[in-house]
Amino acid sequence: MFRRVVNAVEIFAAIGAVAFVILLFANNPGGAPAAGSVGAQLFSANCASCHGVTGGGAVGPQLSGGAVLHDFPNEADQITFVANGRGIMPGFATSLTPAQLKAVVDYTRTDLAK
Amino acid sequence: MTAPAQTAEPSAGLSTATKLLIMLVLGAAVAVALGVYANQHTPTGRKPYPLFFSGMIELKVWFATLALALACLQLLLAARLYGKISIPKQEPAWLGDAHRLTGTLAFAVTLPVAYQCLWGLGFETMNTRVVLHGIFGCAFYGAFVIKVLGVRWKGLPGWVLPVAGGLVFAMLVGVYLTSAVWFFTSSGQALY
Repeated sequence: MFRRVVNAVEIFAAIGAVAFVILLFANNPGGAPAAGSVGAQLFSANCASCHGVTGGGAVGPQLSGGAVLHDFPNEADQITFVANGRGIMPGFATSLTPAQLKAVVDYTRTDLAK
Repeated sequence: MTAPAQTAEPSAGLSTATKLLIMLVLGAAVAVALGVYANQHTPTGRKPYPLFFSGMIELKVWFATLALALACLQLLLAARLYGKISIPKQEPAWLGDAHRLTGTLAFAVTLPVAYQCLWGLGFETMNTRVVLHGIFGCAFYGAFVIKVLGVRWKGLPGWVLPVAGGLVFAMLVGVYLTSAVWFFTSSGQALY
């Protein structure tokens, strides 16, 4: 009896593994492609995986729709936060230049805020 | 090392070295394929199924904890199967099946975690921890393929399964150290 249960669980796990592979390729929700600006490209490369391609939030909080303006009324504070990070948010001071930091922050405060 | 006897069944006439090579190549192929997918796929940044957790990362951390707990239990069961420990003194008839069940469940629990990592986040390089996490994650599934082939293919040397199982366990520990341990100790996030 126990062996039958184990066999059944193995079959379900195998089905799960197959579904895992299929969904990796079949489940494409789309989303806004990165626009041409430097800030948009930096956002796509560094931020979108946690905050979502449109900044709607995922592992990281929502940035779009003015949310980031509410959290950081002062742009300099946001730049400092992105540079240094805090908690789960990694710091980007070593991977982005000050100009790039400003560009990506500008992008979140303008294009994503619309 | 006293290993459980394996059936010396000639499988399709392949030599042991050929079987081992095929296992290694297939395992490496799976690990590399997952890495290539993670690197090439545009991360969706979505959190598809947080269930009753406050966020996707919390779900992933606790599922990974469950997977590691099951893997530790499986390791203990393997140690009893191989006579490395003698508790209980009399080996129960269901021990082998329990070993299979815990391993299968541990693998199944990792799937939703890996799915969000690969599909939602992709292969990230923002710091050493994240890079190592991606490598361990891909290597875990490669090692798992090697282990499954080792279980299914009869006639292999007795050391193959313990080594393959140890490799899978080591990769899972690596994944856990570079994610959940970091989450619990350094992230400052809510625990669930």
